[in-house]
Amino acid sequence: MTPISDIGTRIELVPMDGHFHDITVALYRQATAAGAGLLVHTYSNLDGAAERIDAIVDAMAVLAELADLPGTARRVHFPCGEDHDLAVRRAFLEACKFEPSEPLATAPLTIRDRKSGLTIEVDGLGEGQYRVRASGDDPEQQGPRRVGVIVNGLLKLGQMRRVSVAASATDVVTEDCVAFACGCSHDALVGLLLQRAPNVRAIVREQEAMAARGTLSAPSAQS
Amino acid sequence: MTSQERVLAALQRQPVDRTPVCNPTSVATVELMDLVDAPFPQANREPELMARLAATGYTELGFDSIMPVFSIIQESSALGCRIQWEQKDNWPTVRMAEPIWKNLDDIDIPSDLLTHQDTSCVLEAISILRREYGDEVAIIGKTMGPWSLAYHCFGVEAFLLMSLDDPDQTKRILDKLKSITVDFGLAQIEAGADALTLPDHATGDLVSGEYYQRYLRDLHIEFAERITCPIILHICGRTIDRMEYIAQTGMAAFHFDSKNRPDESMDVVGERISLVGNINNPETLFSKDEEAVAEEVVKNLDAGVQLVAPECAIPLQTSIENLRAIPRTVRDWHRAKN
Repeated sequence: MTPISDIGTRIELVPMDGHFHDITVALYRQATAAGAGLLVHTYSNLDGAAERIDAIVDAMAVLAELADLPGTARRVHFPCGEDHDLAVRRAFLEACKFEPSEPLATAPLTIRDRKSGLTIEVDGLGEGQYRVRASGDDPEQQGPRRVGVIVNGLLKLGQMRRVSVAASATDVVTEDCVAFACGCSHDALVGLLLQRAPNVRAIVREQEAMAARGTLSAPSAQS
Repeated sequence: MTSQERVLAALQRQPVDRTPVCNPTSVATVELMDLVDAPFPQANREPELMARLAATGYTELGFDSIMPVFSIIQESSALGCRIQWEQKDNWPTVRMAEPIWKNLDDIDIPSDLLTHQDTSCVLEAISILRREYGDEVAIIGKTMGPWSLAYHCFGVEAFLLMSLDDPDQTKRILDKLKSITVDFGLAQIEAGADALTLPDHATGDLVSGEYYQRYLRDLHIEFAERITCPIILHICGRTIDRMEYIAQTGMAAFHFDSKNRPDESMDVVGERISLVGNINNPETLFSKDEEAVAEEVVKNLDAGVQLVAPECAIPLQTSIENLRAIPRTVRDWHRAKN
């Protein structure tokens, strides 16, 4: 039996890993001598569980460009040194969902927006700033609205902030630019979040449903 | 004191070396299921798995009690209710939209009630735990009260409407169902249980204090007389309006919900019944951190609550760290006091 030890603060949980015997996998934030590190952990002793954890860490490293934390065993972190709490939790959830037989690759900074048929592209502007734009045939002039939806999605999923872009002559806050507070570029992470940004409501619903599962209601509150 | 001595003394409001940390309801989590390879739903139906998962409350979390009856459906399954067994990450529930009885005459308590897989599993799990842990830790069983059983067998809405329209039939139904509570409880005592949780969901949201007094107080007095071990009554929700009646039942303890402040609850019950509780589940244990858990533990300790516990069965995704913060805070509080 794996002994329980102090492994940090749990920040995300997948109660049943659909890719490995329904084991429970969790993401912990740990204080280490080298700084804050992220630990993916399971209490399962099943053969292959450790390898599955390694695979999830590998997937997170690629999907969100996390790096090994020096001097630690399989703890990872963002090289910028920031937590990016919501974004890393999303990266963990996506890594757990990732089909193990598929080749790992970072997500591109472009998606096909299913609602409008437009292509949404995100351009890195440096210093952690990104501009969202839409292109393609747009007879119904949906582009600006869909860009707004994507921007809102990135703000919520990645705890990003709206920014004014220095290149703008008036230096006003634009509606199509977002940035990470750390001031560093995270292209892979933005690519990952971009896949989910068009439908943040679905993400929120999924999170609420997950949180509600496993909570026992009194019979009077059950259907 | 051993954990068993501590819990049993606190249930009788006798002196203890420190406040016991108790779980009258489940502290099973998905991570603990992995730790001992005893996942839901099997851990609700196979005695070895049930015992193994339950023991983690004592061996891993540091509670003073072990409670193997995670769910509230074991007897109802034996009675013939349809059960949604669910998966590892969710609770088995009775399909109350498909009630098995409509009126008093339909009640048919099967002769195999105590040998059915889902009741005998509880009895065997308690025996296993008693053999394995001897007298070092309190083993707590669970027997459902007639109000909860009626919800399961008649459906919540139908039973509540009956209680309004036909009080006489309602009372006779409760009277008929009480034998299940007593028989299953006594069987668990014989199997090795030190105390029993008795959930009877006359909850604050649907049932008034006056209702409790009219339909359940006397039945609960009878349970306290007939069941030969300390009983911990469990009712969810805001129950301050019926705590006076509950304190009159002669039961050992009342497991109370975080919707009731520890100090106001202690004021009502006084020294007549012990209180067990009342760390909030959804907002604190599940969603917040160890510091927030510790704050609620201290509120209970400061109020003089005799046994500290989560308010109800904890969410299956609760973190182990938050659960371990409960006994740690209790120890720290006593150390600081001494």
